[in-house]
Amino acid sequence: MPLLDILTFLGHLHPLIVHLPIGFLLLAALLHLLSHHHRYAHLVRAVPFILLLGFISAVFSCLFGLLLARGGDYDADQLEKHKLAGIALAVFSGVLYLLARKIPARLFTFLLLAMAVLVSYSGHLGGGLTHGADYLSMSTLNQGGTKVPVNPDSALVYEDVVHAILEKKCAQCHQGSKQKGNLSVQTLQTLLKGGKHGSAVTAGKLNESELYKRVTLDPSDEKFMPSDGKPPLTKQELAIISWWIEKAGAAPGVKMSVFRNVSPVLQEDTSGPLTQHINPEIPQTMDPRLVDGLRKKGWMIRVMLQRPAMLDVTLPAGSGKKTSQVKDELSGLEKNIIWLNLADNGFRDEDLIFLRQLSNLEKLRLEKNPLTDSISKDLAGLKHLEAVNLNETRLTSAGLTMLEKNPSLKRIYTWKTCVKKP
Amino acid sequence: MKEFEKLNSMLDRRQFLTRTSLGLGAMAIGTLLGKSLFGNDIGSASRIVTPAATASMEEDILKAIPHFAPKAKRIVYLFMSGGPSQFETFDYKPGLAGMRGQGLPDSVRKGQRLTGMSANQSILPVAPAFCKFHRHGNTGTWVSELLPYTAKVVDELCIVKSLYSEAINHDPAITFLQTGNQQPGRPSIGSWVSYGLGSDNNNLPTFIVLVSKNAQKDQPLYARLWGNGFLPSKYQGVQFRAGKDPVLYLNNPEGYDGMDRKEMLGYLSKLNQLQNEPYGDPEVEARIAQYEMAYRMQTSVPEVMSMANEPNEIFDLYGPDSRDPGTYAANCILARKLLEKDVKFVQLYHQGWDQHSGLPSGITTQCKATDQATAGLITDLKRRGLLEDTLVVWGGEFGRTVYSQGKLTPTDYGRDHHPRCFTMWMAGAGVKAGFSYGETDDFSYNIVKDPVHVHDFQATLLYLMGIDHERLTYKFQGRRFRLTDVEGRVVKNILS
Repeated sequence: MPLLDILTFLGHLHPLIVHLPIGFLLLAALLHLLSHHHRYAHLVRAVPFILLLGFISAVFSCLFGLLLARGGDYDADQLEKHKLAGIALAVFSGVLYLLARKIPARLFTFLLLAMAVLVSYSGHLGGGLTHGADYLSMSTLNQGGTKVPVNPDSALVYEDVVHAILEKKCAQCHQGSKQKGNLSVQTLQTLLKGGKHGSAVTAGKLNESELYKRVTLDPSDEKFMPSDGKPPLTKQELAIISWWIEKAGAAPGVKMSVFRNVSPVLQEDTSGPLTQHINPEIPQTMDPRLVDGLRKKGWMIRVMLQRPAMLDVTLPAGSGKKTSQVKDELSGLEKNIIWLNLADNGFRDEDLIFLRQLSNLEKLRLEKNPLTDSISKDLAGLKHLEAVNLNETRLTSAGLTMLEKNPSLKRIYTWKTCVKKP
Repeated sequence: MKEFEKLNSMLDRRQFLTRTSLGLGAMAIGTLLGKSLFGNDIGSASRIVTPAATASMEEDILKAIPHFAPKAKRIVYLFMSGGPSQFETFDYKPGLAGMRGQGLPDSVRKGQRLTGMSANQSILPVAPAFCKFHRHGNTGTWVSELLPYTAKVVDELCIVKSLYSEAINHDPAITFLQTGNQQPGRPSIGSWVSYGLGSDNNNLPTFIVLVSKNAQKDQPLYARLWGNGFLPSKYQGVQFRAGKDPVLYLNNPEGYDGMDRKEMLGYLSKLNQLQNEPYGDPEVEARIAQYEMAYRMQTSVPEVMSMANEPNEIFDLYGPDSRDPGTYAANCILARKLLEKDVKFVQLYHQGWDQHSGLPSGITTQCKATDQATAGLITDLKRRGLLEDTLVVWGGEFGRTVYSQGKLTPTDYGRDHHPRCFTMWMAGAGVKAGFSYGETDDFSYNIVKDPVHVHDFQATLLYLMGIDHERLTYKFQGRRFRLTDVEGRVVKNILS
């Protein structure tokens, strides 16, 4: 066994040392080309030596590569091509080393360039074996074409979510040219067909679904997937897959909204268990310079939330500010002001007409201002206003009745006013 | 890192050479003389000193606040120190009357630990509450007859009957509730809140503490309960005392003119600046800021302490004690005035709830001293519209046992400490009004439904202020700390 282990280990070195011949051989070609220019003519003497290095490393790469091919479940066809190209390259570079300075310079240049092409070809094949055949291909350039669902609820469970999870966590070894255990996760059909151990997914039966069994084993289990310490599936990913297999019959075309309604898992991950109902009309951002400006002008500003940008704005009592000033200074932030306190600043009804523009206002403090019933007109259209404080104003029962017509207003404070207690 | 760079820019080449030439010489001599003289190797003696936390990390943490849209802007926390009995206040257990004097069943106690004060009693006799309970408010909530005023505002309260703590003695339990850890040294809730959220009033401290003078001082209170722990010192609670000097050393000395003081502070500030320039020590900056705050407080504190503008009706509302500065009732009026000024965290402490014996008379006195003023505060905040964005919290550090500590007589009994369940209530911003949460068993010994750990309570408090308890951290001595340590879960069901 130890011998076999060493061989496996050496095999695993193939992807590492394979870069040596690639580098050496391309360098040899490059130096030879450069030496045609008189400034670099002296480089020509280095070419045979570098070719020799390239040849030696290519031979080792081939040996390690053969060892690796023993153990991996690679696409046989691709593997064969890569093997041939690699061996050909090793031989070719050896021959070139022997022929250097013995054949006409032009022919040598041509052969070197041909070798460079062979390097690229066999390297590309090898890369395709490790990373999947379509890892580096024209289709990579066109990936913008992948359809992204419009919103989380219209997304489809298998097509948009499960497939994407498998793509991310499994495809490296179970798709395209590399199908370990004969399993491919490429399509729903290949999943149902399964691999060496039978069907990967069995509708409605988790314990007959090899895929689910493997990803939920104890991580130290030899059969646990993804193997070799690659990132395991998260709790949420597992929840989606298990629901899809067990409850959605591993079928295509099931909407995510169905899953959301039955499982709390997604909500937990995306928005946290604490959901706040925030008015969607509040702008996401605001100009921070306006806030700084207000602070300099004596306002107390508290940022209630950054996104959306919610502000709690207080004008200190007795500030002596005039209406026009207040209106100007707040301009640009009208939609961001959620709580506003203008208490005890000597405002009259006509001073506060600008309140109508603060359409997202939720709490408003106007106590201790000489306001009358007409203020209710300014507040009538504020459809998010929940609480208004009109203590110590000249409000009467008539004004209160008008205010109560605003359906969003839940609490109206009228202490020390002319409002009669019910 | 910002401070380090600032210091770097201050230390140019010339300054560095001037300042350190002597030190370098000394080091050179030290090395020459070697170990024999100094007893250790000078070369390796210099330790690398890492700052407690990098300023940029702190900034990132603070910049992300608030994490939630806050419901509350201020908190007033009425701390009933000593552990008020739940049996004589809110957790009504009518079934106990029939079991009077019987031993506490083992099936209830389950071998759980008792304090050394009652562990050796031959019997743990069940002691029913000596007082009556009545239903109150629209919700028909049971409240003890000892709290007639609180009973009238019960529709405002969110009563949590299922709090539990880990500590069984006063000091660790109070420290646990106030700082999230049983050992002293961590910042208190008020300090975390003022560190995380800053101040809404430039003329008063963000975190103010008031301790009742009219309470039996059965268990001590320590300033560390409102201390800043490892947070910068400006976040500590400031205690306002009753009497002539509410804040110590704030008044000008006799015969010393306010202008002189201003001039003196001006020069002092310049001196501090001079010191600050070469060293860039944030503590020096904090000191300068605190002197300035103290100067502003010379006007703001007397103004807020003055009761001259309070009408009689207010004193009637808070009860007769409220005319006597320093009593719990007077502190409640003062708390309201501080909240009106947007002080972020006001904490009242009222001691004397530790009734190991003589509970009936003891708790009656306690309730009398606090009940009317507490309800008065709720009423006053409510009508002023301040309950909109102020959270009121009432409670102690743990509950009390169902059995009598010492002898159970027809008229007298005591109760020992009981951390497994106790009652607290909240009112105002962000919590359900007229709501009860959590249930205890028939002996109010174990929780049977919806337990709320101290860390859950703390997490909820921070949530209401807009803070995610898991994300407000401070790095100290190589690890990040938070109020709720590694636990805590916001109690969603009590949120309005």
